[in-house]
Amino acid sequence: MSATKQHKVRDIFVEGPIDPDFVGESIAKHATRHDIGAHEIFLGQVRGDEVDGKPVQAIAYTAYRDMALERMTAIREEAFARWPSMTCLHVHHSLGTIKTGELCFMVLASAPHRQAAREAVAWVVDRVKSDLPIFGKELLPDSTHAWKVNR
Amino acid sequence: MKVLLFGLIAEKAGASEIDVQGSSTGELRQALTGRIVGLDRMMYAIAVDRRIVHEDIPLTGSEEIAVLPPFAGG
Repeated sequence: MSATKQHKVRDIFVEGPIDPDFVGESIAKHATRHDIGAHEIFLGQVRGDEVDGKPVQAIAYTAYRDMALERMTAIREEAFARWPSMTCLHVHHSLGTIKTGELCFMVLASAPHRQAAREAVAWVVDRVKSDLPIFGKELLPDSTHAWKVNR
Repeated sequence: MKVLLFGLIAEKAGASEIDVQGSSTGELRQALTGRIVGLDRMMYAIAVDRRIVHEDIPLTGSEEIAVLPPFAGG
């Protein structure tokens, strides 16, 4: 088993937005892995939804960290069991205040062929949204706020 | 026992943790309802040792308990 497939507990959380340069660097790091033929990537961006007629200006993310990382480790293990050809899987989620238009979530899966990478990313994104105890406070103008709920 | 609070529920309680007594998750729900105004009208889940528990289970007091509002990751 290669080093990238070991299921240690990884910290997926980053303070602040995900830098688009980091996304590029993450892909570039795989250039030495010649068994990879496909990368699939999902990027979540903070959307300027209107809440009670007021535009969301940012989302302040918090998490129940220990549970989130434990759940994420289980999701990773299941993803590698479902798509055994997958070479690696990288998940990053922001904490703290992320402005509208900034990136807050990244899932990158790499595999020899596209099908495993595509399916794994779609599945992992859904699982992260439904299973990880992450909370989002939508910051509105006039110092008011609302709490985001995933649908 | 110490109960961890998050998001909207922490905001309503004005604290990130609260001390509540209960020998089961059912008793805990009752106790929490008495302590956090409006909790009975809110959607929330109880996690015991970092796993969501839907059924009424006994508690020894040594578990890590958390009250979780709806998730919003991604």
